[in-house]
Amino acid sequence: MKILIIEDEKGLRESIEGYFSGDGNICEVAFDYNSAIAKVSLYRYDCILLDITLPDGSGFNVLRYLKDHNNPDGVLIISAKNSLDDKIMGLDMGADDYLVKPFHLSELKARVMAIVRRKSFSGSNLLVFNEIVIDLLAKEVKINSTILKLTRKEYALLLYFIANKGKVVSKNAIAEHLWGDGVDLADNFDFIYSHIKNLRKKLEEIGSKDYIKAAYGMGYKFADQ
Amino acid sequence: MKLLARYNRVNLIAAITVLFVTGIIYYLAISYILNYQVDKDILIEEQEIFSYVKQNNALPPVVEYKDQQIQFIKVNRPVNRTFINTDYYNAKGHEYESGRGLITSVIIKGQIWQISIVESKVETEDLIQIIFFITIGVILFLLLVLFMANRFILNRMWQPFYDILNKLKGFTLTDSKDIVRGNSSIDEFAELDNAVINMASRVKTDYKDLKAFTENASHELLTPIAVINSKLDSLIQTGEFNTEQSRLLNDVYDAVSRLTRLNQSLLLLVKIENHLVKDDQVVDLKHLLETKISQFKELFINKELDLKYDLVAKETKVSPYLIDILLNNLIGNAIRHSKFNGTVNVTLTSEKLTIKNTGENAPLPKDEIFKRFNKSANSEGSGLGLTISKQICESYKFDLLYDYEDSYHCFTVKF
Repeated sequence: MKILIIEDEKGLRESIEGYFSGDGNICEVAFDYNSAIAKVSLYRYDCILLDITLPDGSGFNVLRYLKDHNNPDGVLIISAKNSLDDKIMGLDMGADDYLVKPFHLSELKARVMAIVRRKSFSGSNLLVFNEIVIDLLAKEVKINSTILKLTRKEYALLLYFIANKGKVVSKNAIAEHLWGDGVDLADNFDFIYSHIKNLRKKLEEIGSKDYIKAAYGMGYKFADQ
Repeated sequence: MKLLARYNRVNLIAAITVLFVTGIIYYLAISYILNYQVDKDILIEEQEIFSYVKQNNALPPVVEYKDQQIQFIKVNRPVNRTFINTDYYNAKGHEYESGRGLITSVIIKGQIWQISIVESKVETEDLIQIIFFITIGVILFLLLVLFMANRFILNRMWQPFYDILNKLKGFTLTDSKDIVRGNSSIDEFAELDNAVINMASRVKTDYKDLKAFTENASHELLTPIAVINSKLDSLIQTGEFNTEQSRLLNDVYDAVSRLTRLNQSLLLLVKIENHLVKDDQVVDLKHLLETKISQFKELFINKELDLKYDLVAKETKVSPYLIDILLNNLIGNAIRHSKFNGTVNVTLTSEKLTIKNTGENAPLPKDEIFKRFNKSANSEGSGLGLTISKQICESYKFDLLYDYEDSYHCFTVKF
């Protein structure tokens, strides 16, 4: 997977780059309008992470450039502006998703993966992780050809884990992913534990390996080890 | 008391007092002049009698003059010569009229005679009466004119003042409309109008600056928070942590998460206050509530809360984004502040939405809870949830009310 990160804030750019690198992914970075245009005019990317508040021009101009040149790359806008107008404008101009700062890297990764999956024309809607096969259209999970019955939240959780496989995902990130960031749940993360326990139990019952590992009391890691 | 009423009252009391006093003086003066006139007639008569007595050394014959009667009575001692107010017998009309008399005496051939000359005052009294009625009429007319003048002219003259007053009453900081300039030709009111308009625009500018500052500060904070967040996410990928390090990291995570929400809440408040959320559309509240309840299902189960709900179909035109936040806040609060094993009731009727929960066995301070950063000691919330809820309700002219009844904390949104 090839990703372009257009972000002027060095700290954030490096974190994203670090999180996405590895696992066969290639990350490139741009920090202003001109360097971004230089990159996108030369190379193709699976997904472009676009900050719309760039120092020398609005990120919207980059987006407009991409659309004017019929660039098929997936675009995810990352913005400090939680403005409905900006969001609607971005999506209308052809962006695939809109994420408001601050966000968890795991959330960003999950969104990028979703865009990449949607954009890939391999003809398959199947997401495979070892023995776990997920039919994204039918929202069906199979393990060794046996259908696994999951609740809506367990399904979302499993997808989230697979998108962030090999990474430690914090409980805060999981809570925000499942309940939305409008829900103020800081004083109560116990219920995440029971969710994970249920998912793990269901996976094991049907013959899957135990991929979900608790990580130092602050989160979970989905890994094949 | 209204200025007009007070002014009218003072004016009328003064007018009545002055007119009353002048009336009395007027009456006394006229009475005095007329009496003096009558007295002069009587003196002439006396003079005539005296000159007759001097010439003839006998009493004149008693002749009945018009409105004048003369009597001669034998007396033993001379009488004091005095003017008296007495009754006059009108022989024609067979009635007594008020009269003016002179008692005097004369000595004829050693015999003292008392002479009383009485003249009718009926004509002078009639005159006074006529003058009195005319004066009263004039006074009443004058009062009426004064009253009307005060009422209509003053009312009209003070109209610009009431206009300004109404504009001030209707003035709200958050409203984008400015105060409209009045067109009074009276200098004082024009000046007042100017002062009010200047003050309002100054207050608005200050308020706008303050809001802009809040918004800018919150925006500027977003990027560093985003960096901290992403660094934390990166940090926990770096390897093994011992229990102590994990605990510290967890605390940092929670703090950053609270900071994020606080910041988002502040930005949201500014947005609602500035009416920047304008995606109003018809929302099916019943359906939305059902979705919310299923979204929060795990939280109810986790706290073993008994959730009861009774929803009727209800649609309203609101921003789906804001109504979502409102319901999240109210339901989230109900869950957070419920004790383990408590009860949460959600009732939706066509007039109102009520969300009530069991919790602390004491009512919350009604005036305090909607204020910014007011939260119970054991709450982990931002302290802005209810402020935001209140703002959302206000922007749609809904009422958000709190009540404590039968050990339920009850929040009601009246549509």
